[in-house]
Amino acid sequence: MATEKITDIRHMLHWPGHMETDYIYTQGIAGEKFFSEIKENEKIYGGRCNHCGQVFVPPRLYCERCFRKIAEWRNLGSKGVVYTFTVVYIDIDGAKLDEPIMYALITFDGAEGGLIHRLGEIKPHEVQIGMPVEAVFRPQAERTGSINDIRYFKPQS
Amino acid sequence: MREVAIVGVGSTGFRAVTPDVSYKEMMFEAATRAYQDAGNISPRKDIDAFISVAEDYWEGFSIFDEFVPDQLGAVLRHLFTVCGDSIIGLSTAYMLIKTGHFDVVALESHGKPSDILTLYDVVQFAMDPMLNRPLGGHPFFVAGLEMTRFLYETGNTKEQCAMVVSKNRGNALANPYAAYGADIDVDDVLCSNHQFYPLNQLDVSQPSDGGIVMILASNEVAAELSDNPVWVKGVGWAVETPSLETRCWSDAVYARIAADMAYKKAGIGNPSREVDFAEVDDLFSYKELQHIEALRLCRPGEAGLLVEEGETWIGGSMPVNTSGGNLGMGWALEASGMQRLLETVLQLRGEAGSRQLSDVDVGVAQSWRGVPTTTGAVAVLTNY
Ligand SMILES: [Zn+2]
Repeated sequence: MATEKITDIRHMLHWPGHMETDYIYTQGIAGEKFFSEIKENEKIYGGRCNHCGQVFVPPRLYCERCFRKIAEWRNLGSKGVVYTFTVVYIDIDGAKLDEPIMYALITFDGAEGGLIHRLGEIKPHEVQIGMPVEAVFRPQAERTGSINDIRYFKPQS
Repeated sequence: MREVAIVGVGSTGFRAVTPDVSYKEMMFEAATRAYQDAGNISPRKDIDAFISVAEDYWEGFSIFDEFVPDQLGAVLRHLFTVCGDSIIGLSTAYMLIKTGHFDVVALESHGKPSDILTLYDVVQFAMDPMLNRPLGGHPFFVAGLEMTRFLYETGNTKEQCAMVVSKNRGNALANPYAAYGADIDVDDVLCSNHQFYPLNQLDVSQPSDGGIVMILASNEVAAELSDNPVWVKGVGWAVETPSLETRCWSDAVYARIAADMAYKKAGIGNPSREVDFAEVDDLFSYKELQHIEALRLCRPGEAGLLVEEGETWIGGSMPVNTSGGNLGMGWALEASGMQRLLETVLQLRGEAGSRQLSDVDVGVAQSWRGVPTTTGAVAVLTNY
């Protein structure tokens, strides 16, 4: 559309830019409960809405269906089943990974929702929907209150 | 009753890279074409309001809104930016005109992903910082998780998804705006590299650069600006939930809710019979099947059969993505939905060249905001 156009690609200029942004993300009351139960007690907690009766994992302070406050926590243990899964073969820059990474949504008995996490101690072709799995926790001293305090989920022994 | 029409379209792109033009020059080019197409109007005096659809992180600016007016002719005029998706932008323009306070509105959307050196890190930054981001990895694993459950619950197959790729890349060959036209078959897709099982490399749309501008007008002025206005009969949009943990993994619930909203406004009770063709989001091959089902263009679980039996191909009973979709035109960030709208307008005007469908009066365009969102929008367009 411009009347003049650049026709020599050696003359095409650009300017590099970099955006450095650092944040802290506040975990909040429900997040505090959820991550400290993983860290201290190797337990996965949900929150129960007293209005609709649903237990949501991970817990939040309010029910997304009823818009009511949630004040009751439920211990869901550390065992669940694979609801869906994938196997990732490339890294974020598109390079082939030496070992593929398996991810799954793990659901828990009696709870709505689940946790997204990695799978371990299993081969990609062995993973199936409905497979019972359990959380493998990092040693207590290495835990920081992060979702990575769980190393991965493995098939139930 | 006050009606809303699309009276002008202008586009540039779409290409895999555009090192020769800045995003501003791209927008200027698309805008110049759109103004010319809408009866050669002047943005300096004939347009009542401007809407640009953009997202700061895609652009590499904080408060990108401020960088939009000059290339659209909107300096010292009435402009705002909508962050969302171009069909949400269209809905906003539609509502402005419906108020009765605006007669002519310009809508702009573009994508220049080739300027983003860490594109997938931006996608990853859209995920929950405490629950999901610390897990690391390429964020498209979310699409792999969804495709596994979608195939499991609906009975659609990986082969049928590969047929979608073959169809859309083939359709793109006939579309001069498409970056990724190619003659590939089902085996090419199934044999391409594993990326996010069950997704192979060719199941995933590649980024593309380009921009689109559309001019919308009320029925009171539409005839002055265009000989072939395309009417916006209904718009809809919806968000399911931000939480990967509690969202639905098999159906595109957001698209279903958005479509029902748009159909209701448009007075469409039986979409599979009343809609002539559709442009739907196909960022990943399976999304086309999932979105066809959400838009109720077939019965649940039957979208794969439609592609297998040729019904969604050009010449079939319900052509889908004659443009090539995102797989064929490329993933142009916020402009991806605008690509769907553009093709719908061109088909309804009879200006789709060698991919032109015969006897089409009602088209549906649908967008999805991409991984990891559950947000979508739908527009129903007609040429009468
Ligand atoms: Zn509730």
